[in-house]
Amino acid sequence: MSETESSGDECVLKCKKPAFVLYRNREEWKDVVPIPQADVHNAVVAINYSEKFKDVYDYLRAVLAKQEKSERVLKLTEDALNLNPANYSVWQYRREILRCLKIDLRRELVFSAKMIHQHPKNYQVWYHRKAIVEMLGDPSAELELTKNDLEYDSKNYHAWQHRQWVVQTFGMFDGEMVLCDTMIEADIRNNSAWNHRFFVMSNTTGFTPQVVAAQVDYTLQQISKAIHNESAWNFLRGILCQTKDGISGNIKVNTFCENLIASNNISPQLLAFLVDINMALAKEDQQAREKVKELCMQLATDVDTIRHNYWNYLAQTV
Amino acid sequence: MMPPQTQKGDTQRLMFAFFAISGLDILNALESCNAQHRQDMIEWIYSLQIQPDDDEESWSRCGFMGSCTFKLQSKESREYQHSHIAMTYTALSSLIILGDDLSRVNRPAVIRGVRALQQPDGSFCAHLGGSENDMRFIFCAAVICYTLKDWSGMDMPLVEDFIKSSLSYEGAIAQGPGLEAHGGSTYCAIAALVLMGRLSIFSDEQLDRLRNWLLMRQVAGFQGRPNKPDDTCYSFWVGATLKLLDRYQFTDKKKNREFILSTQQNLTGGFSKWPDNTSDPLHTYFGLCGLSLMGEPGLKEIDCALNMSVDAAKRLEQIQTWDS
Repeated sequence: MSETESSGDECVLKCKKPAFVLYRNREEWKDVVPIPQADVHNAVVAINYSEKFKDVYDYLRAVLAKQEKSERVLKLTEDALNLNPANYSVWQYRREILRCLKIDLRRELVFSAKMIHQHPKNYQVWYHRKAIVEMLGDPSAELELTKNDLEYDSKNYHAWQHRQWVVQTFGMFDGEMVLCDTMIEADIRNNSAWNHRFFVMSNTTGFTPQVVAAQVDYTLQQISKAIHNESAWNFLRGILCQTKDGISGNIKVNTFCENLIASNNISPQLLAFLVDINMALAKEDQQAREKVKELCMQLATDVDTIRHNYWNYLAQTV
Repeated sequence: MMPPQTQKGDTQRLMFAFFAISGLDILNALESCNAQHRQDMIEWIYSLQIQPDDDEESWSRCGFMGSCTFKLQSKESREYQHSHIAMTYTALSSLIILGDDLSRVNRPAVIRGVRALQQPDGSFCAHLGGSENDMRFIFCAAVICYTLKDWSGMDMPLVEDFIKSSLSYEGAIAQGPGLEAHGGSTYCAIAALVLMGRLSIFSDEQLDRLRNWLLMRQVAGFQGRPNKPDDTCYSFWVGATLKLLDRYQFTDKKKNREFILSTQQNLTGGFSKWPDNTSDPLHTYFGLCGLSLMGEPGLKEIDCALNMSVDAAKRLEQIQTWDS
């Protein structure tokens, strides 16, 4: 919503594109009678549309009403979508036209990539992309597309979602673990990359003892670099819970945590993790219950004071 | 009249209206719009309702559109005039808040329109023209069914399966299976389950893990995912979920309040995502909701599952006199 339209003159100066000519002034559109928007009297949240917006949508309504599907309408939908990429009906109409005219969908991928680049957080541009890839049955451009987008915003939910859809639908998991490594290397706190790691494991190797052991090693290494990093701790918890011993039964992890404590290398995430370990044992183990209380007190009074009410409550209920 | 910069929200005008109407209600200031103006709003909302015609298939298009952008008379263009589930939800809620009794809502048609959007995996799309399907629209479907007291709008076991399979290894809920846990989708799932009366699909252990994840989202305000900056709207998404799960009392209200107020703009009064940012209707509304959860004086209490004032939720109970 923050983008403003530049006037035609500015556009000539800045991007050397020809100035936009209103559809009502175009000779080749003389055969179409534009249809203005039919809002009721005293409508609320009315928008003070720009001249260009009104013009484009007046003509779009006119061709939509008679279901014209032609090259010129395809171009019109492009103008309409540039003005409002969230108009899902325009995207729907556009797909109908693409089907009807049997347009080369590779051409559409180029347009779609441009729109995603300009509006990376818009739901409709990503859905359109998915629809076109499905129509084409060819996902070969998608890994590059999402990788480029993630370079710009490494936590963009839409990009990750599209990528997961592609690799799952078309069985393209081969390079995904390497991508996770690279992205975690670049930003160890990228929770989306950690989530992708779990997603890839779930869909490929599964959680066999060997796989979990290797991933535990990797994760402990990452935690050593940033002990406050909740993403890594959550991942560790996640993979341990996939094993029969659960969160409390991994000797390597337990020793790692003890060593951090012994070297006074303390974080809220470490203590919270130890709370979970001891909670898992607390039912049958009085010592574990005492440990939970002790950890909660430390969290409440010193290490994680923003949640002191919660830690005090946990200490009481254990 | 909203400025041309809001053109990108052209198809979601109903949602903007909801933010304004429900926001004024929470501020206890709905009366600042006079009776005529409130009636105009009601008429405008009803003007966006899609009614079925003689064609059987047309029932699945029913509900509300977000705007009249493509409200056309021609028969050929009918397939572009279908409801959007988020707009149907915000239309019904806005009508209730404005004091309407929903008597002009074509209830069977709305329910048929919702049902038509459910996918084989249990999730919902937003509209028939082709859209993404995720947890947001499950919430919308649940509010609509709850409001109209007609759960034939969804296959409930299928919805439960979708929500369960979207529980991530982090212990919170994603927009869909395999995706990253997120404060917004977690709210949508939990609020939907509460309205469905099916929170019990999760074990006590799972709910405790979820409560823990939610409490960890507080930085000063709340973030939507680990290692993301806090953002005004999550004071509601995460806060309301914590309230639904009976753990809101453990949040740090002082820090949360300070954060929300730091995102308020001096000139417009609106709230933005972050301090020193541009305010917008969504963050303004959820900023207010976030303050209301803490019992801010002058603000009405919120029904966390329905996302409207408790007053409005009570009014809904009074008007739900029809048989389900």
